[in-house]
Amino acid sequence: MRFFIFLTLLVFVVGVQTASAQALDISSGGLPTITGSVNGSVTGTANVTGDLVVTINFGEVSPLNTNSVVKVLVPIALRSNQPYQVSVSMSGLTNANSEALQASDVGFGVQNPRLLGGAGQICNQSSHIIRSPFNNDPALSATISGSGRVSYPSTLASLSGPTVILSGPELSKNNSSKRQQSDGWIFDAVFALTPQFFVSGVSSATLIFTISPGPNVPC
Amino acid sequence: MPRLTKPLLLTILLVSAVTCVGQSTTGTVSMSATVSKFVEINSGGAVTLTGNSGGGVTTDGVANSPLAVSINLGELGPSNTNSFVTAQVPLRLRSNAAYVLSMTATVTSSGTTSNRIGAADVGFGLGTITRSGSGVNPSGTDTNATSGDPTLAANGSVNATTGRYEFTAVRSNLSAFSSATTALSGPFIMNAVPRSNVNGLSVPAFFAIKPQFFENGTTTISVTFTVTAP
Repeated sequence: MRFFIFLTLLVFVVGVQTASAQALDISSGGLPTITGSVNGSVTGTANVTGDLVVTINFGEVSPLNTNSVVKVLVPIALRSNQPYQVSVSMSGLTNANSEALQASDVGFGVQNPRLLGGAGQICNQSSHIIRSPFNNDPALSATISGSGRVSYPSTLASLSGPTVILSGPELSKNNSSKRQQSDGWIFDAVFALTPQFFVSGVSSATLIFTISPGPNVPC
Repeated sequence: MPRLTKPLLLTILLVSAVTCVGQSTTGTVSMSATVSKFVEINSGGAVTLTGNSGGGVTTDGVANSPLAVSINLGELGPSNTNSFVTAQVPLRLRSNAAYVLSMTATVTSSGTTSNRIGAADVGFGLGTITRSGSGVNPSGTDTNATSGDPTLAANGSVNATTGRYEFTAVRSNLSAFSSATTALSGPFIMNAVPRSNVNGLSVPAFFAIKPQFFENGTTTISVTFTVTAP
């Protein structure tokens, strides 16, 4: 009997942990796309129940690429049964030569929050907020700075440690323990890189998107 | 009862574990980009032709367009009483890496004697090098391997023995460029700016011929500039 009680408590604990795990979730929001590239590519899954694992190769970004901009759009799906926030942290892209590709040369914005199917939660008391300065499509908002270099309203250099880019109320109607095709929201992470006379070389960076409990806003 | 509960619990644990695998609070976006060395040469603008008798610029240069200039130098015999017939061709170079501008020239004449116009009779040199404008790297030293304007007194004179005018300075005539030969080199030209930026390194290329008692006939001079990033 004592053993049975112990087992019952263990099952309860496991149940709580499972519920906690399903409270916040980030995954692929669909197939990422790339335009304007030369020898570039982007890989990811079209399955919205797949993990968010995307590899972007911007390709050639010297003037050999005569396109005005290389643009990558990465749909990201979010699920939660509580208020949430999404933060991004970056590693890499630390070229010492200021004329080489810098984090500030990669435009980064967040666009187009939208329902992921009928089980996505619509809250009337709070909205999903794209944090400043990330609410822009960098490919459409690039300008030429005084030095002649292309600049964007927000870039990878805008990420200072884990930086919150998005927050809002709960995202999912149900409390399913599994990712489903239609139980959250999607937003687009947009990256833009204008080919320029950068110093030659290969550059790389890694972004980690994290969903966590956000400001306690009502639904 | 415990006998039944154990398998049940194990099943629940297993199901829970499988469920958790399907969800995540983090996602990863990895990115990379490549910048290759890039160099280009274009026209720096309109050609200036002076001292000519007849002739003219057949195909002029257009700034920041591909360099494809055609010039008729006109009469080069003694009936042209000017000191020199000179063509000044503006060049514009751009690069994201150290560059080398080389040149190859061929001179063919319908004449059959040593008095025909030859490569050594065509003076050549690069003029003042200018790095200016937004987006241009102003630092660094460009090395001009030529002697500059070939019509300068220091760059040529009449041969006291033969009486023929000669361009005598280092790489001051086209005979020095019968094969690809460096004319100019230097550090990277452009800062990180897009190709739509029209600025760059500007340098005039001078071609000069002194009218003399050359053997009559027609002469064709062909010059090819090539810029590379070694």
